[in-house]
Amino acid sequence: MIAPGHKGNIGRPVRRREDSYLLRGEGRFLDDIAEPKDTLFLGFVMSPYARAEILSIDASEALALDGVVAVMTAEEMKRLAKPMHTIIDFPGYRGTPRPILAENQVRFVGEQVAVIVAEDPYIAQDAIDLVQVEYAPLEAAVSLEQTLEPGAPLVHDEVPANVMFESSFSSEGFEERFSADGRIVRERFRKSRVAGVPLEPRGCLALPDHVADSLVFYTSTQIPHLVRTALSELLGLPEPRLRVVTPEVGGGFGTKAQFYTEEVATAAIALHLRRPVKWVQDRREELLTSIHARDHIIELEATVDDSGRILALRAEIVTNAGAYSTYPFGCSLEATGAARMLVGPYDIRHYAYRARALTTNTCPSGAYRGVGQPSCFMAIEGLMDRIGRQLGIDPAEVRLRNVVKADQLPYVNVLGVRYDTGSYEACLRRALELADYWQFRKRQSEAEPDGQFLRGIGICNFTEVSGAGSAGWRVRGLTKVPGFDSAVVRIEPSGQITLQVSQAGAGQGHLTTFAQVLADHLGARVEDVVVAEGDTASAPYGTNTFASRSAVAGGGAVIKAAETLGRKISRIAGYLLGVDVERIELRDSRAVVSGDQGQGVSFREIAAVAYSMSGTPLPQGEEFGLEAFETYDPPLATWANAVHIAQVAVDRRTGSVTIENYTIVHDCGRVINPLIVDGQIHGGTAQGIGEALMEELVYDAEGQLLNANLLDYLMPTAMDIPDYRLDHIESPSVDALGGFKGVGEGGVIGAVPAVTNAVADALARVGANINRTPLRPSYLLQEMQRAAAGN
Amino acid sequence: MELSGERRVGAPRQEVWAAVNDPAFLKEVIPGCQELEQVSPTRFTAVVRVSVGPLKADFKGEVRLEDVVAPLSCRLVGEGQGGVAGFAKGSARVELAEDGEGTIVSYQVDAQIGGKLAQIGSRVVQGVAAKLTARFFDGMAMKLGAEEAAAPAA
Repeated sequence: MIAPGHKGNIGRPVRRREDSYLLRGEGRFLDDIAEPKDTLFLGFVMSPYARAEILSIDASEALALDGVVAVMTAEEMKRLAKPMHTIIDFPGYRGTPRPILAENQVRFVGEQVAVIVAEDPYIAQDAIDLVQVEYAPLEAAVSLEQTLEPGAPLVHDEVPANVMFESSFSSEGFEERFSADGRIVRERFRKSRVAGVPLEPRGCLALPDHVADSLVFYTSTQIPHLVRTALSELLGLPEPRLRVVTPEVGGGFGTKAQFYTEEVATAAIALHLRRPVKWVQDRREELLTSIHARDHIIELEATVDDSGRILALRAEIVTNAGAYSTYPFGCSLEATGAARMLVGPYDIRHYAYRARALTTNTCPSGAYRGVGQPSCFMAIEGLMDRIGRQLGIDPAEVRLRNVVKADQLPYVNVLGVRYDTGSYEACLRRALELADYWQFRKRQSEAEPDGQFLRGIGICNFTEVSGAGSAGWRVRGLTKVPGFDSAVVRIEPSGQITLQVSQAGAGQGHLTTFAQVLADHLGARVEDVVVAEGDTASAPYGTNTFASRSAVAGGGAVIKAAETLGRKISRIAGYLLGVDVERIELRDSRAVVSGDQGQGVSFREIAAVAYSMSGTPLPQGEEFGLEAFETYDPPLATWANAVHIAQVAVDRRTGSVTIENYTIVHDCGRVINPLIVDGQIHGGTAQGIGEALMEELVYDAEGQLLNANLLDYLMPTAMDIPDYRLDHIESPSVDALGGFKGVGEGGVIGAVPAVTNAVADALARVGANINRTPLRPSYLLQEMQRAAAGN
Repeated sequence: MELSGERRVGAPRQEVWAAVNDPAFLKEVIPGCQELEQVSPTRFTAVVRVSVGPLKADFKGEVRLEDVVAPLSCRLVGEGQGGVAGFAKGSARVELAEDGEGTIVSYQVDAQIGGKLAQIGSRVVQGVAAKLTARFFDGMAMKLGAEEAAAPAA
């Protein structure tokens, strides 16, 4: 039992342990690891065509270059590694294996065709230029609009109509309810294609031992355990002989929650040549080959009553999966994610959807921060605004009429998903108040109709799925995503505490937050706790870090392990102090007797006994050491929620958007560290603002990516990001241990719809209908001109 | 990418027609042309050095003459491989109209680019293409007898 006087750490703004070295530039990222002097470097020859037959590959000139050790094509590579194949155990899924190097056919610009192995990275780059590949270009399927047309080219012969995944749902009696009385409101939303663009591109370093029967593999990933299991399977190397280590990871955002062909090639070549092998990509390669995301069409139609209540809602969702199903999430994540999250915080009792993922000749898509949610909330929140406009009811009022109320909790939504706790109405009311929403509406209605600026306000009220446990992944058919996480807590002979967690941070501050959680649940001083993670040789197995799961899944495992170890400490302390174990309380790294301030023993003294380094023997029946291992499987999901309100001004002459006010009220349950929670929201919101206003990966009709560089792929700078007004409500989860809910993705999820709705609200004043992103000046000007011309 | 424009050349149509069918003449006026060979009456092979932004590459390719109506019009169809820099392909419809003592050459180009050229150069490639086209016609006009310049319209 934790003593009442123990100094609590959860909820305190403990400074991040990571910052002292990260801010000084002393973080050790993949490319900072000193490679051994016989290391070889890779360079990939990438396809310039979206779809083509490979007729021949002539590497003779490259091989003749001094310093080139080997050039490999699919022919050699397929003897070293099996293709990647993501199995999704779900009806309607058609997976296709992806060879590590393209064989016979290329399916997107950037797909790897051959790999150079050279003595230095510059020689590898020069040799890429010397490989002659002869292609026979074929017509490509690129955009969703083109691929939906009958007769579009087939990306994979075995995937009819390019439908890689299809799923549908209809609540009981939906059709009758939908066709009953009620006004129909509909809209088609188009969410543009973007990418996570971590500051540090991907890379890896493979170090085989001297006889190449084991491998240490450094890789910039969020999923070291899943990489180990997958690598072992594809290379045929026993898992115990494979150690995967993540150094400091310079941003992941889901981009690095995927397992990539280059990682397989690097490991395979290192084992084959018995040399250390390193590969680090540049930005162009990163934008061409790291997973892309979004690129969705969502069509909604709802029947509504006169008060604006949604009676029945139908969604038709199409997502662009790209050329291959990615590992480990497959191509179904965005389609089902968007479909299943779309009802969000609203009490919608009749719902039907069809969700499809189409394969196209573009970069494979994957799990970027928010996954289907920025799109599905752009759709449902956009629909709320349209209901308001069509019925002459304020859009905030429409939301208040549809939102799940506090007295309805716990609430089971139309898909059978349970929301244990939440603050859907309270967050909305607080945000409306902080944003001075009603005052703005009054000013807006009085504004000069011909002024230079059109002003608008946009709301996004949303739920954020987080911390999904094994049931949450099983229900989606994902067989390579376990769902549980684990922790090992060990009090060392010195009395200091080691905590190993099955997570792998990419800047989230795990070394700080897990120490806080452990300290509170073990009765330890936070400064006695050292957290380690990201090395499969020492960290226990788990699902790793993505989908806003660290606090929920990792935190739950830490709590369970702390409690197990706490019981052992208490037993030994009771024996040493000669009191009943029930009277032992833990505080400040000591075991004390309840009600007796003076009597107690320190963890160090207990450790001396446990490790047999004391005159006192271990009590009979106790095992040596002070260590506990526990796993935690969170519920199907925990549901955070929040409201974002953006207020914008659109310049009628230039079409440029300025965000004048930005308000967030967020509820992620019990807050472990408010500094880190605020940081997650700030960063995510910046990414969402970028996604709404400017980011877009542009493919031309031939499947050429036209902006694989950061001059042309626009990202927000500090100049584009407003100050946020941020407030919290805490509704601790009752289903998840610790009461935590995830907070990793909410910023993006809220920002994309809030900004889009604000701009749409502004332009609705001149009759323009804004239903797609990015909200570039050219698009806004065109829509304003079209509206002015009266069509 | 589309480009079109016209240019007056101070030489009779027949002379202009002969020039644009003469490999030696073309090699001199095509900007960056390293090699140009006529392999049949309607086929040429060429190596052209082009730099677009940070990319410099030798594009090796073939140009065919199609729909030839001498000396009025033809269509040039070609594709060039720049190795790792990517590729360019396209067609140009060229028409020659008599204009007093001179000839008005008009052109409509439709081109696609791919690979690295598209990925990092697409923002500047239109400008580069317009400049190269202007240089081609300037060179032609200069060699055949300079006349008043008309900037190509993109």
